[in-house]
Amino acid sequence: MKNLLLTLGILAAACALSYGGFYLMSREPAEVQQAMRAGDALAWLRTEFHLDIPQYAAIKKLHEDYAEVCAGHCAAIMAAQKRGAPPADIAALEKTCVTAMTEHFKRVAALMPPGQGERYLAIVLPRIADFDHRGAPNVQVKS
Amino acid sequence: MNTPDPEEPLSRTLADWRVTPPRHPHFRPDVWSRIEAARRAPTWTGYVRAHGALVAGALMLAMVLGAWTGRERARERDAAARATLVADYVHSLDARWMRLP
Repeated sequence: MKNLLLTLGILAAACALSYGGFYLMSREPAEVQQAMRAGDALAWLRTEFHLDIPQYAAIKKLHEDYAEVCAGHCAAIMAAQKRGAPPADIAALEKTCVTAMTEHFKRVAALMPPGQGERYLAIVLPRIADFDHRGAPNVQVKS
Repeated sequence: MNTPDPEEPLSRTLADWRVTPPRHPHFRPDVWSRIEAARRAPTWTGYVRAHGALVAGALMLAMVLGAWTGRERARERDAAARATLVADYVHSLDARWMRLP
């Protein structure tokens, strides 16, 4: 009985060690984890898609420029809603927003290293379609 | 303390009480055989050698189970963190989300 219990204890310890080892080995690199924890999207882009300094700077600039375009779209949609514009007008504004956003993501992807751009688009483009008018979508990203 | 009265029935009964256990002719050999059995009990290494295939299989299973659950847990955690970040990132560039309450 003592030997059986000792064996079971050793099996449990082996299982726990194996769990811990594979858990640590399977986590994302520390830099990516840090960016995800901090909610820092640009840091995440840099680490997740292996951007070098010029690529990172160019993408950061692209985002900053697009933030102004996005704010313009936002203002237009809100103004249309405020004045009670017909749904078709609001839908047209939303379509403009989606088109601009898609183009922006494609421009960002084009600045990324080979292979990474496609991966980036595969992650972000489905999120555009996630929008629904009832509230936040249930997003799931599969790497 | 009061001295019990020898004339009291309980004291008399206790004074007369004799325990006469039945003889156990194999008592000594039984005790020795148990001592010998305990001495001959296999060590843990002996136990493992005796059940080699079973222990090796269980060890393999435990390690595979640990590895698989560890890897899945790590992936789940990273996927959840990434999903939140990607959603926030895309929404921050999506004018449609900005008008939601």
